[in-house]
Amino acid sequence: MAKEPRPSASDRLGKPPVLAPGHTTSSVTDQISAVILRGTPRWWYFAFGFSFLLVLLLLQSLTKLFLEGTGIWGLNIPVGWGFAIINFVWWIGIGHAGTLISAILLLLRQEWRTSINRFAEAMTLFAVACAGLYPLIHVGRPWLAYWLLPYPNTMGMWPQFRSPLIWDVFAVSTYATVSLMFWYIGLIPDLATMRDRVENRWSKMVYGALAMGWRGSAHHWHNYETAYLLLAGLATPLVVSVHSVVSFDFAVGQTPGWHATIFPPYFVAGAIFAGFAMVLTLAIPLRAIFNLQDFITLRHIQNMGKVMLATGLIVAYGYMIEIFMAFYSGNQYEEFMILNRITGPYRNFWWALILCNILAPQMIWIKKVRVTPALMWIVAMFVNVGMWLERFVIVVTSLHRDFLPSSWGMYAGTKWDWATFIGTIGLFLSLLFLFVRFLPMISIFEMRTIVPKSDSEEASA
Amino acid sequence: MSLEPQRFAAPADVARLGRNALVVGAIGAAASVAGYLSDPAQFFRSYLVSWLLWLGIAAGCLAIAMLHHLSRGAWGLMIRRVLEAGSSTLPLLAILFLPIALGLTEIYPWARPDEVAHDEMLQYKTWWLTPGAFYLRAAIYLAIWSGLSFALNRLSQRQDETGDPGLFRKMQTIAAPGILIYALTATFASVDWLMSVDAHWYSSLFGVYFIGGQGLAALSFVVIMALYLAKREPMKGILGANHFHDYGKLMLAFVSLWAYFALSQFLIIWSGNLKEEVLWYKERTEHGWNIIALGLIFLHFVLPFLLLLSRDLKRRGRPLLWIALLLLVMRWVDLYWQAGPAFSPHGLTFHWLDLATLVAIGGLWFAAFSRRLARRPLLPVNDPFMEETLDHE
Repeated sequence: MAKEPRPSASDRLGKPPVLAPGHTTSSVTDQISAVILRGTPRWWYFAFGFSFLLVLLLLQSLTKLFLEGTGIWGLNIPVGWGFAIINFVWWIGIGHAGTLISAILLLLRQEWRTSINRFAEAMTLFAVACAGLYPLIHVGRPWLAYWLLPYPNTMGMWPQFRSPLIWDVFAVSTYATVSLMFWYIGLIPDLATMRDRVENRWSKMVYGALAMGWRGSAHHWHNYETAYLLLAGLATPLVVSVHSVVSFDFAVGQTPGWHATIFPPYFVAGAIFAGFAMVLTLAIPLRAIFNLQDFITLRHIQNMGKVMLATGLIVAYGYMIEIFMAFYSGNQYEEFMILNRITGPYRNFWWALILCNILAPQMIWIKKVRVTPALMWIVAMFVNVGMWLERFVIVVTSLHRDFLPSSWGMYAGTKWDWATFIGTIGLFLSLLFLFVRFLPMISIFEMRTIVPKSDSEEASA
Repeated sequence: MSLEPQRFAAPADVARLGRNALVVGAIGAAASVAGYLSDPAQFFRSYLVSWLLWLGIAAGCLAIAMLHHLSRGAWGLMIRRVLEAGSSTLPLLAILFLPIALGLTEIYPWARPDEVAHDEMLQYKTWWLTPGAFYLRAAIYLAIWSGLSFALNRLSQRQDETGDPGLFRKMQTIAAPGILIYALTATFASVDWLMSVDAHWYSSLFGVYFIGGQGLAALSFVVIMALYLAKREPMKGILGANHFHDYGKLMLAFVSLWAYFALSQFLIIWSGNLKEEVLWYKERTEHGWNIIALGLIFLHFVLPFLLLLSRDLKRRGRPLLWIALLLLVMRWVDLYWQAGPAFSPHGLTFHWLDLATLVAIGGLWFAAFSRRLARRPLLPVNDPFMEETLDHE
């Protein structure tokens, strides 16, 4: 670390700062906590109310599902995996950006992560909650879902440990646990700040209980730093492992289009790609609504755009190498599968996928696009759609043309498939609105640590 | 701290090391020629593996240099000259590709017309695997990499001479598409040069695995050179424990990445258990090759991974040197394990030509490398990020 702060080369070269100049530790605390202390804005009721209506739609679809069974979905033979797995992979992928931002960027000492890690982690949790729902309801008899866990039982039954589906159970539950711990431990000092700032007695009690007696002593900080770093170390392999295991769900079988060795790294890149798209989708409106442009600056939007571009190119590499290997392998089924994807009955999905995931992100090469939040939001929306289409194409096109033409079929989601999917979007948004209303969406104490540096930068400029 | 380029002239030892390497290389080359005359098939097969090792270091240096230009981390500036000198040897390696081009029929089954005539799959694969297309593609890959390294090295030299702070943007402009082009060409090169020694086998992860292996080899080589330079003026006291801590972390990341790719490929192919895929692993896990496979698991992953977890070992020079040397050796073992069973599926064999060609190419390569390294100051003093890098304590 430099002993005396001075403008860094990246600032001298005219990059936007990670924190707008002129802030002091107290102005940072005031401005971020004011979002909560200011009271509930009127639009919030509408936004939350609308999202909650979608949650009710989810509850309705689930009730119908439990009463009538998975027959209400579009699943059949040959396409026995449909929306449930597509949406599971879509949601779990979105979560990955939060873990990458909070764990890997922390270990890489990328201080621009500071203002986006809190809500990116929240996004991870909510996305994992939505994702975790799908396998549970897909088992047909969700009240027996605990059979997925290996436990000694009188039936003498164990899960199939060679199946990646059981690895999924471990991977996703570990992921959910570590993400929750990471997010909550990171919140504790800020919960204490909120406890000290709220007026209402009940709020004080709730924040106080959640802050677990945090008083900010040197001893507390020491323990906190140690725990946080250890959790970051634990969470880092999860960025790679969770989506690799998800990709094994497909790749360890023999289905053409699923059985490809490139799947693990390509799924991980896709997950980070989708995750950063979702972070941008949320961050851009939030910074505008809550006037957080000082904290989530153009530097953040640019950097996230660059990560999105890089991971998007890895995804493009994955598509390319799949096509090349299908032809290089000389395997007629692989070849047919690729041609069927590109020219078969689902070709529109494939071409839309190429447009959304490969062509649209190329806009990020242009600096003007990178520094225009509205344009970046549009690109991010393309990617959100594209990553859903990617999973649709992988799941459906591989299954709907079985090895024998007599077992060919078509697949489409029913209205209940869509209702469930839209319902989980509602669940995600509802949780998000609750989060921004009641918890500091930017880490106050971590922002304070980057204040002095930018202060003195201003002085020397 | 004064930042005159003259202060950072390479120590005289580097040039001496290069002269010694040239002598060793010449002896190796003479032995290789003798080996070629007595057993041409063995010569070409040994040569391929040796060439791929040194090529991987040079190409890996180019890739890491481009990553450094894009990420602008402090870690890269300290080793940039080593990376640049490493990548500048790519034209030499392109010339050293010639023996492979001459020995095509001894190395690749798809290049033997009699074998293709009896094998439907090889006939099918002639859309990709023919000698003409192979030569053309190799020329393209090697020309592109040489061109990228030439362009970046020239900009870097201009930065030394003029001190224009805007030059780093130009380097980024080359490095961003450069890294993409590199990833694509290196993938296809891995298919052509290494995967097709067993022309039936295929794996879509192979290119990534190959690129990761090259990156690890290059990084290990760079760390060895950095440790060598850190003991001598002018880098003594500038390259310190903090830098090696960072390089150790990068090595840990690359070692983990290598293991991740290796495990993913193995697990998917083992699980699928398809005849056209799994035979590759079967050949490589029996008749003595299984010992090499186990060696890879423990010495290419488990041991270096555990050692690199330690903060202390990363910061002390000597242990890190041994780990880097181990990883370089294991890179060769990995290449040998991938190519070897295609040539001798019935048992693990070693031939003295494996060593002779390795020394021959390595000696010549290192001589060229050290000549380039000695020619320029050891730090890119005019880089706009240099000043704060020197504060990185």
